[in-house]
Amino acid sequence: MTDVWIAGAGMTRFGRRDENLPDLMAEAALAALADAGIERPDALVIAAMNPEEFTGEGNYASLIATRLGLSQVPALRVETATSSGVAAVYSAYAAIAAGFHRSILVVGGEKMTHVATPRVSEIIGRSIDPHEKSYGTTMPALAGLVTRAAMHRRGFTLREISQVAVKNHAHGARNPYAHFQEPVKLEAVMESRLVADPLRLFHCCPISDGGAALVLTAEPRAVRIAGIGQGADSIAVRYRSDLTSFRATQAAARAAYRMAGFGAERVEVAELHDAFTPFELISLEDTGLVPSGKAGRATLDGETAVGGRLPINPSGGLKARGHPLAATGISQIVELCWQLRGKAEGRQVPARVGLAQSIGGLATNNWVTLVEARR
Amino acid sequence: MPELLRASRCPRCRRLVVPPASLCPDHPVKMEAATLPPLGEVVSFTTLHSPPEGFRAPLHLALVQLEGGARLFCHGAATDGVKIGSHVSVEAVDSVFYFSNMGFTDRARLFWRRAGARGERIGAIGKSVVKGILNRRPRGED
Repeated sequence: MTDVWIAGAGMTRFGRRDENLPDLMAEAALAALADAGIERPDALVIAAMNPEEFTGEGNYASLIATRLGLSQVPALRVETATSSGVAAVYSAYAAIAAGFHRSILVVGGEKMTHVATPRVSEIIGRSIDPHEKSYGTTMPALAGLVTRAAMHRRGFTLREISQVAVKNHAHGARNPYAHFQEPVKLEAVMESRLVADPLRLFHCCPISDGGAALVLTAEPRAVRIAGIGQGADSIAVRYRSDLTSFRATQAAARAAYRMAGFGAERVEVAELHDAFTPFELISLEDTGLVPSGKAGRATLDGETAVGGRLPINPSGGLKARGHPLAATGISQIVELCWQLRGKAEGRQVPARVGLAQSIGGLATNNWVTLVEARR
Repeated sequence: MPELLRASRCPRCRRLVVPPASLCPDHPVKMEAATLPPLGEVVSFTTLHSPPEGFRAPLHLALVQLEGGARLFCHGAATDGVKIGSHVSVEAVDSVFYFSNMGFTDRARLFWRRAGARGERIGAIGKSVVKGILNRRPRGED
């Protein structure tokens, strides 16, 4: 199997953007191609979760290929709900590793802020099991159930899940690409309004627009994809025996570590899917980065902050960098690529190995990716 | 006692699901019809303050585990006094499940019925009384 390298990385600033989705994807894609020094990749893989519903446009692979001036380059679209971006990276990885192509542009994005919040919530909620959705469950509702169960069974405290927001906002304040670039105080998080008891507004990621892109290649470059693993679980939350950890993350992590030939002990920086801040604590333990039961303490002690032992979400995470659905998983790997190359100005951490974890739906289709700087 | 709930059982792994499904989530095997007593324990619950269109705020939701392990989503009139582990009864109204907190006599009857099969009625009544007393403690931080 051919090694797969990251030749180029690029993204737009996330947040409330006036541009349309093809323009946002093009901004990210052109930045990644320029970074790679490649004008025309062999193929394109596009990630968009709900463009038909949010923007009314369809046939997205061809739409973006044409917008990029690459209309005759083979393109396909990949979708696994909120982890679609990494599913696209996986498709490109597999095609290069198998020798089908030498270079592939992966670009993901979402445009959501022009749509009213209840409608955004309804569209994202289509990734929930239809029977459970018929009860009025939304992503925050399911996350609220997970959070209450995790507080009860695993001892997560309100202070711990709130400190994740404080930390990630502090990181976002140092990232010019982040949606939120202002720090928040612990009291403000703990006293923000209840969304889905016990989850509060500041425990939830924002609705964001944005695009992110990577160019993968078979030619050796500065950063290699050492492992990429997928894990799955039932779309119906009622079919799961455990609410307080995500089987799909655990399976994805095992697959990624097996492929890489090393374990969590070599990871020095990570981007985790903190769509809801308790998910960062759950994911820290599901990926084996922190021993079971220690994630809350590690967060309160500052171990997971930039400057700490194991910086988590130096980009600000979904909480502060923002969460334009299909752009998110790619943007995590963009951030790790910049960190490993020493180009994460203002938030640089010393690291040679990074881990990205992306959650699709309510943890139905998760991914773990390991990246390593060239020795 | 409310009506039995319709469920499905996997002939291979014996797993139960509610509402009935044609195939087991874990095996591509046709499930068999089953019924379950409408009694269970709260796995988790939440209150939505901005529910989706068509639902009135606040929307109380609970995930309830029935005897035998099947879990189901329920609406409730309130979550006051509900805790993780609370015993609830479940009723289907127009195919929508609702949970309600079980009173002391309901719980005693439940333990009597459960324990009856094992011939441990006295112990079960004792446990039920103890549980009734414990449940009167003020709610914890969670």
